[in-house]
Formats: sequence, C-alpha cells, structure tokens
Amino acid sequence: MSRLDKLLKGWTFRTATPSFEPGDVITAFVTHSDGDGVSSRIGDSVLRIEGETDVDIETKVRLKVTSFDEQNHVGTAEIVEFLGEF
Amino acid sequence: MPEEPDIELSFRGGRLVSALPIAFFIAWAIFQSGILGIGDTTGLVAGMLTGLIVGLLFVRGDWKDYADVVFAGMTRRVAATAVVAWLWAGMFAETIQVGGFVDGLVWAATALNVGPGLFPAVTFLLAALLATGIGTGYGTAIAFTSLVFPAGLLLGANPVLLFGAILSGAVFGDNLAPVSDTTIVSAVTQDADIGGVVASRVKYAVVAAVLAIAAYLAAGFGIPGVVSGMPHANVTGQVDATVSAWGLVHLLDIAIVIVLAVRGRHIIEAISWGLIAAAVFNVALGAADLIDVSAASMLLFRAPQNGLTQAVDALPLLGAVVETVPGGQAGVGGSIYSGAAGFFPLIVLTLLLVAGAEIMRAGGGFDAIQELLIDRVATTVRRAETTMVLGTALVNATVTINTAAEIAIAPYIATLGKRFNINGYRRANILDANTSALGYIFPWGGGLLAGFGAMQGLVGGNGTPWFTQEMLVNPASVWPYVFHGWFLVAVFLVAAWTGYGREYVSDRTSEEVSRV
Repeated sequence: MSRLDKLLKGWTFRTATPSFEPGDVITAFVTHSDGDGVSSRIGDSVLRIEGETDVDIETKVRLKVTSFDEQNHVGTAEIVEFLGEF
Repeated sequence: MPEEPDIELSFRGGRLVSALPIAFFIAWAIFQSGILGIGDTTGLVAGMLTGLIVGLLFVRGDWKDYADVVFAGMTRRVAATAVVAWLWAGMFAETIQVGGFVDGLVWAATALNVGPGLFPAVTFLLAALLATGIGTGYGTAIAFTSLVFPAGLLLGANPVLLFGAILSGAVFGDNLAPVSDTTIVSAVTQDADIGGVVASRVKYAVVAAVLAIAAYLAAGFGIPGVVSGMPHANVTGQVDATVSAWGLVHLLDIAIVIVLAVRGRHIIEAISWGLIAAAVFNVALGAADLIDVSAASMLLFRAPQNGLTQAVDALPLLGAVVETVPGGQAGVGGSIYSGAAGFFPLIVLTLLLVAGAEIMRAGGGFDAIQELLIDRVATTVRRAETTMVLGTALVNATVTINTAAEIAIAPYIATLGKRFNINGYRRANILDANTSALGYIFPWGGGLLAGFGAMQGLVGGNGTPWFTQEMLVNPASVWPYVFHGWFLVAVFLVAAWTGYGREYVSDRTSEEVSRV
C-alpha cells in the first residue's frame, strides 16, 4: 500500500456492526474463549468459531466466514490459519 | 521499551492505594498552583517527595522493595529521554535568544503587519511546524515560550492566549511528527508501522487544527490583548526602528535542527549542531556589531577578584569568557548555563513522577483499573473506544510526563482494542492523540511545565530585561486556551461515537513495525 493510499484510507464513518458474506476470508483476533467455545468479536458483530474449543484470547487467525445473520450481527466462521499472538 | 522489574508491592487497603504517591502529588499540585497560584516547580518536587514518603507507610512487608521500585522507575529510559530533551533544548533556546532572535521575530511580525489579533493563530501554525519537524513538543514549548512569547507580548498579544497557542502547536507536533517519541511509542505498542500510523492520523489532526486556527483567530480578535493595568502594558508597543532583523539569522540553526531530526538523527546530535551554529552566528554578529552579543553572553565565569583571576581575565580568547567581580557576586552564567539550569527542578520532578508511576504499576493499581474497564465499562465498541480516549486522558492526568503516561496506558489500549478487533492504526491514533493533547492541558502536565519553566527564565533574562515576575502566566489559567488539544480530544470522542475513521483488524492489516 503506497503512502498516498495510507493517507486516504479511513476517511469514512465505519459502522459498529460490520457485515460479512459467507466465503469471506478475514484476519481477526480471537476475543472470547471458554468451555462453550471460541468466538471473534469485530466491533459489535460476533463470529462464533466452529470446530475449535481451545484457542487463547488475542490469538490472531485467518477466518473463513461460513454464515452471517445481517439482522442480529452474528455469524459463524472456521479457522483457516493461525497467525500467532501479537 | 525497558524491561519491567519483577518486584510486586502489596499495599494496606488494596491495589488502588498504590496510586497514593501520585494522587497525593496531584492534590498538592492543585493546592499549590491551582488554588494558591504558586508556580514554583521546586515546590512540586517537595510535593512528590512527600507523596513517596506517605506511600511508603502503606506498604505491607519489606519497605526495601518499595525503595527498589522507586529506583527502577527513576532509571527508566523514558525519564532520561525527557531529561536530555530539556537540557539540550534549554541551552539551544537560550543561546538563540541572547542572539537577538526575539527582536528578529518582532521585526518580521511588524514588517509583515502581523498585529496582536493575528499573532496567536500565526504562533500556533509556526509552533506546529517546528514541533512536527523536531518531534519534541517539550522542546517546542521551551523554544517558543523563550523566543516567540516575549515577541508577542511586545506586540500586545494576549499573554494567556499566546501561551495556549504555543502549547497547541506542541500538541500538534507531538501527535503527528514521525520522529516524536510519543508517535514511536504509539506505533510500536500497537504493532503498527510508523509511516502508516502517521498517514492514518492526518484525518484527525487536520480536523482539529482547522478548528483550532479558527478559534485562535476568533479569540485573538475577540479577547482583549494587553490592556492598561496589566503588568505587560508598560512594554507593549515598545517596538520601533531600533529592533534588529539580524536575529532572524537563527532561523538557519533552527532549520539545521529540523532537517537533522527529520533525517532521523538523535535529538542530542541534531540540537548540538544547531547550538554550534547558533554560537558561531552569535560571535560573528557580535564582532560585526550587528547585535549586542558576545561569547560572554553564552558562557561567563564571574571570578572573585585576585591576582590570578585578573591575569586570566587579561588573557586573549579565554579572557573573553572571564570577568572579575567582588567576591559575593562570583558565579557562572551565560545562555549555556542558564538554559540548562532553568530545567533542573523539572528534571528532578520528572524522575520522581516516573518513580510514582512505577509504584502504581508494581502495586497493581493499573491492573485494578484495567479489570474494571473491561468487565464493567467497555461493553460495546463505542463504549470501548470512548473508554480508550478517557482512560488515556486519565492516565495522562496522573503520570503527567506524556511519554511515560503513554507507555503506562499502551498495554490497556492494546487489550481493550483487540477485544473488539479494532485496527492497530486506530488504536495507535487514539492512544497518541489523547496523550499528546492532555500532556499540555493539565496545569501539572510536563509539557505545560516545560513552557512555564522557560517563561520563568525570561524574568530578568539577558534577552528580555523588561520581563518581570508579574508577567508570568499562571499555569492553572492556560488550560481553556490550548484549543488544538481540546479539539483533538473532542474529535476522538466524536469519532468513537460516530465511527469516523474507525477501522477493524479485518479491514486492513498494519505493516510491520519499523522506524519510519
């Protein structure tokens, strides 16, 4: 990304509840982990991570969105790659 | 970043009691400077020393651990950085001042017809430019208060408004400069590249700066400047044809400092070169009789009269910086001496404050606050970002040396932000903008005290013999006029609520950390 792109990026009003499409692959931190499962909260939208039960909070992962409910801002995703803790 | 020592402290009354030394100091500072109107920095040193002793009484277990934490805090690199910046900037500013720079600025302002109404807005812009170049808001506050503040008074600008404009410029530079220590800390602690961080914060800084310029114009023309009855009234308007333009030569040494700093040279190196250039100009201009300055203006040994000292005084070269005086008046003087010495009380205060912050960390006071924030307060992304803004403000109110405050709050900003997948750039911007702003607003803030220290140096100074004790601006009165600082905080509060500039980790990944 060039300096100019960096300068011009983000001059917008971003929603508190971002939406995702099934199939989107995104980078995010795991934000919640307990006996019931693991999830990633992006703003006030929550993606429940399927197939994982034990991932530390603040682990950075690549997620593939598998479903998303626009109304309630909740969805599901699966981890495609662990990027480590940052 | 320095390694954290392993010592943990336990306090009677719980973890929050570890904040007692700093809380005691703040209460002392409000009483001394806010209520009694005494701006004596050494008095604040006494307050912090007393606070550290009071805190000791509440420690459970071995008091030696408390003492070790005090040492660990005082030897932190951030404290040394502030000390170095003050000493060097102090010498530099004072040396330019004895070289007639203030006269040069007054000449330029008169020639360009910048009146007292316009002066604060122009001062803000110039201070912002210098601070963005040299990356130290403290250095800018010192230089501009030493150099531009007296020039503005002579033109009849409102003293409090002018001091606020200088501090606003310092805020702008501290926030935006790629070489600013607060910019670097904000980027490094939030895992973001410095170039990207600076580029991404322009959108906030510009909005706040435009509002600040408008406010300085409105206030400059709306608030009376120096009016009769004020101590400044006697000197205002004493600008006439006798003012020399030659002092503007020192713009070259300032340019040397800015260019070297922007190229990434160390602050000691950059300012040393500027200081050497300023000294050479002073000697040359003095020798040519263009400005009333000499080597003795920068360094002077006033030795008690006896056979030996009179012989030294008569020597070529060395004799230029030695004069013999009656025994009771012996001492060392000149801009190198007084520029550095003016900051000694502030330096001691800084070291003690950083020690107080270390005690709060070791005693769990910072942890207690973080847990409260995550569990009770930051429950939505808007509330989380608002908490980050206000939390940064709160820590800056306690730690007061803004780089130290930033290092203290940075881990909480990272933790809170990551819980909502807020992008590293956004986190760094929230952290740095509010750190930069608040460090110059609170009456006990290091940036404000740095400027005030420089102002105290003007009293009876070589370049400003007309400046009296009564002309000092009370540090507790300037806070409403640091417009850029207030607008910057306001922009971030609005941005937290509306989502202006918000980015998530999923929107883009910040690049790796590097220096620029």
